[in-house]
Amino acid sequence: MTRNDLITEIEHPPCKLACPILTDVREYVQLIAERRYEEAFATIRKQSPLPRVCGRICTHPCETACKRGQVDEPIAIAALKRFASDGLWRDQYEAALPGKSTGHKVAVVGSGPAGLAAAHDLALLGHGVTIFEALPVLGGMLRVGVPEYRLPKNVVDEEIQAILDLGVEVKTGVRIGEEIKLTDLFEQGYKAVFMGIGAHRDRKLHIAGEDKLEGVVSAVSFLRGVNQAEKPRVGVKVAVIGGGNTAIDSARSALRLGAEGVHIVYRRSREEMPAAKEEIEEAAHEGVQMSYLTSPLEILGRDGKVSALKCIKNELGEPDDSGRRSPKPVPGSEFTFDVDMVIAAIGQAPDSSLVAEEIEVTEKRKRIIVDGPYTLVTTQPGVFAGGDAVTGPATVVEAISAGKRAAISIDSYLRGESPATVESAGPTETERLSSVIIEKTTKFERCVKTSLPADNRVKGFDEVEAVLSEDVAVKEALRCLHCFLGARLDKEKCISCLTCVRVCPLSIPTTSKMGEITIDPIACQACGMCALECPVRAIDISLDHRGEMSQEIEKGMAESHQPDPVIVGFFDLHGNFGSSDVESLKQDYPNILPVMVFGLRKIDTSDILKAFESGADGVFLAGCPPDTDPFAETADRVKRRMTHARTLLDAMGIDGARLEVCDMPEQGIVDKELIDGLIQRIKEAGQARSE
Amino acid sequence: MITLEQKKFQEIEKMTKGYNPLLVLGCETCAAMSFAGGQRQVAELASAIRVARKTTEQKGEVLEDAVARQCEPEFVDLIADKVGGCDAVLSIACGAGVQLLAERFQDKVILPGCNTTFLGVTEELGVWSERCAGCGNCILDKTAGLCPIARCSKQLLNGPCGGSMNGKCEISKEVDCVWQLIIDRLTRLNRLEMLEEIFPVKDWSPAGHGGPRKMVREDLKS
Ligand SMILES: Cc1cc2nc3c(=O)[nH]c(=O)nc-3n(C[C@H](O)[C@H](O)[C@H](O)COP(=O)(O)OP(=O)(O)OC[C@H]3O[C@@H](n4cnc5c(N)ncnc54)[C@H](O)[C@@H]3O)c2cc1C
Ligand code: SF4
Ligand code: SF4
Repeated sequence: MTRNDLITEIEHPPCKLACPILTDVREYVQLIAERRYEEAFATIRKQSPLPRVCGRICTHPCETACKRGQVDEPIAIAALKRFASDGLWRDQYEAALPGKSTGHKVAVVGSGPAGLAAAHDLALLGHGVTIFEALPVLGGMLRVGVPEYRLPKNVVDEEIQAILDLGVEVKTGVRIGEEIKLTDLFEQGYKAVFMGIGAHRDRKLHIAGEDKLEGVVSAVSFLRGVNQAEKPRVGVKVAVIGGGNTAIDSARSALRLGAEGVHIVYRRSREEMPAAKEEIEEAAHEGVQMSYLTSPLEILGRDGKVSALKCIKNELGEPDDSGRRSPKPVPGSEFTFDVDMVIAAIGQAPDSSLVAEEIEVTEKRKRIIVDGPYTLVTTQPGVFAGGDAVTGPATVVEAISAGKRAAISIDSYLRGESPATVESAGPTETERLSSVIIEKTTKFERCVKTSLPADNRVKGFDEVEAVLSEDVAVKEALRCLHCFLGARLDKEKCISCLTCVRVCPLSIPTTSKMGEITIDPIACQACGMCALECPVRAIDISLDHRGEMSQEIEKGMAESHQPDPVIVGFFDLHGNFGSSDVESLKQDYPNILPVMVFGLRKIDTSDILKAFESGADGVFLAGCPPDTDPFAETADRVKRRMTHARTLLDAMGIDGARLEVCDMPEQGIVDKELIDGLIQRIKEAGQARSE
Repeated sequence: MITLEQKKFQEIEKMTKGYNPLLVLGCETCAAMSFAGGQRQVAELASAIRVARKTTEQKGEVLEDAVARQCEPEFVDLIADKVGGCDAVLSIACGAGVQLLAERFQDKVILPGCNTTFLGVTEELGVWSERCAGCGNCILDKTAGLCPIARCSKQLLNGPCGGSMNGKCEISKEVDCVWQLIIDRLTRLNRLEMLEEIFPVKDWSPAGHGGPRKMVREDLKS
């Protein structure tokens, strides 16, 4: 399925649409909220063969798109992904096995995320894959670019191993284009080639002093050194030129290797800086100095070694073709400062010269030319390309996406089908929420990540950021607004009774004067109030689907063989409880069948009667404390609904006291006294009834 | 709309006793809007009967269904098969619905699960109040758009009576004196002189006092 189909097909949450590999973010966020971590991991792993890598360094366009971001701050999706992918439950995941062999051999050139993703998907499709890698190690920039303190190498190794376990072969130390040309690969029996050679050639500064002085290095080679056991020596005062992630990583690495002062010299202002915001903040926090609106003019030297950097200040002029305002030097603003090392990090181009005779590359930036983003066919039939090699320096997830698209395209090529030519739909902008809804939405603070204190960080390459704790992760996941899981109105059933218009805490349903109800699926947050109160059940919501809930109860009741009274307990997932609380509830009260819901709003009198119908002796509803409830204003309505239920139970001769409604304690899941009281009452009522 | 409310559960339980299977039949218009007989209430009531039967060890299946309006023969006929397979139907519609069922299903027991209350308006979700008595001869043009027949406890046409106190009716402090409201509104409209015209004795025959009412439109009927 292409992105285009997805957009037009049905509504998808902004987070999913923003992800280049269409990871079902909403689903795994929700599964984490429900403490179903294995399934959360499976959801992530289904789309990405490198979940732990992505959980750490993905640029998370999903967060930029996240609707919560319009209300307060986006869900910390990347941190949640890391939480779901790092946990030991990932070992339970049963990865897909390679499909039946097709007999075709495919060469994948380059073992970065693009090559790895292509190899993974091609292997699953049953093709025989061999990876050719120029370097002695696998992983591309994941291994030789991104430093250990952001991406531990054992994480990279483990994920690569899982891909190799699919039967993918590897040839390291082979630079295609040198001894083995592309044509040779076809002669060796490969039926298709994927070029995922990345962008490893640093662009030059083109200033005086660059080539002849000792102490000037390119960022790619510097970081390659940083990622080896034998670390490079750094100067005392280091200038890093550039504003991308490579520049930031070079600067932070230089600090860790003992530099006393590190300056990033960037020609535009902070707003235009392409590096991730968090990275810039972390670098500044660790002590990296930033010189914005500054361009280097010349590297000065003494005795053949770097001694100073001459710069000029800039001001911002008109936007250039990248849309960013271009820097213009301010005459007379030249200045010089002392440095003994200069790292050039002003961008990379693909190292495509070796293959440029066989496939066409762009003139200036040397990028491999492909015919379209979904086919990825180069000018040479049977040769496909993707990742940084095609786009120039980009991101891991875009590289994975390219690898996956290439696998599909190569597969259809090998099967003799013409590859689909689908154009990308372009960036999808998240629809804006109205100010009324933003105002009415309960704000919840985004989780704070734990990281090493800055002093400890710069002493070495230990991973800076820690994985979220379980309770923090669950709480964060509960901030999700459940985009598109909300109210869907069956117009055929609707009788225009206006109940939804009247009960929605966000005033989302609206009516025309002829009674036509509209419920905006983008604005709806799936609180469930309308779906429940609708007298003709014309509204359905996907979150806590009624049908599934009653099945769960029936199944649970059928399986329960307790001597004690059996109680169905509905618990609001928004409570302040941890997994240990759930565990001890199960241990202390094996006679309680817990049903976890996103809000007690979703429990109707008929659900309570269903529980009794299925054989329950009592029903217990535990609501979350008001400050954790996203729809606290509905709590009173829930209580009144339960009073109605109790009256009905009394009238039925069942004794309304068998139904208990309470708030959870500030911390924990139940008040034992209350439950024990309920059990006692039920025992007494039970006796009374059988007399 | 016509408002209605479900009968007390004990009454329903008693009248439905022994019928197997029993069909609880909802009506998806006025009854639904009154939260007395829509699908949601069908599910609740059917479940309640089932549980009550179980706890008192009575046998008997309880089925659920609903139609758009029980006051229309075409809708009612669509469930003929289901009704055919049942001992009795508990209709949670207004009295009109119950009676149409009885007419269409001649040899079935048809039971009323609701009390039909009045013709009224929704004040807010869950609050309804009476506005019209269906008297067959509307006088709202003369009473500032407020009906003394439906809303005056004594149905006075030349009110108010001496029991009107501080705008409230003498029967209860909760009840507005509609005649006070009429006077207030006519004052606002600057039409107070309209009250100088005395209502003659009302002809109640269009209100049903002349026997059951029926309405025929020659241009529409077959
Ligand atoms: C310092 C740094 C930090 C970064 N941080 C982030 C980040 O935080 N988040 C993010 O999303 N992205 C980040 N990126 C970008 C990301 O790493 C790249 O976009 C991604 O790795 C590109 O994947 P790729 O597979 O296209 O190429 P690469 O990962 O570059 O892999 C290409 C591979 O091909 C090999 N190769 C090249 N030529 C040949 C040949 N002729 N024959 C055989 N093998 C060959 C190379 O040796 C290399 O192993 C960062 C990049 C750098 C350099
Ligand atoms: S609120 Fe939830 S579903 Fe909506 S975009 Fe954010 S993470 Fe996705
Ligand atoms: S589910 Fe909740 S938020 Fe969505 S329309 Fe219904 S009442 Fe409003």
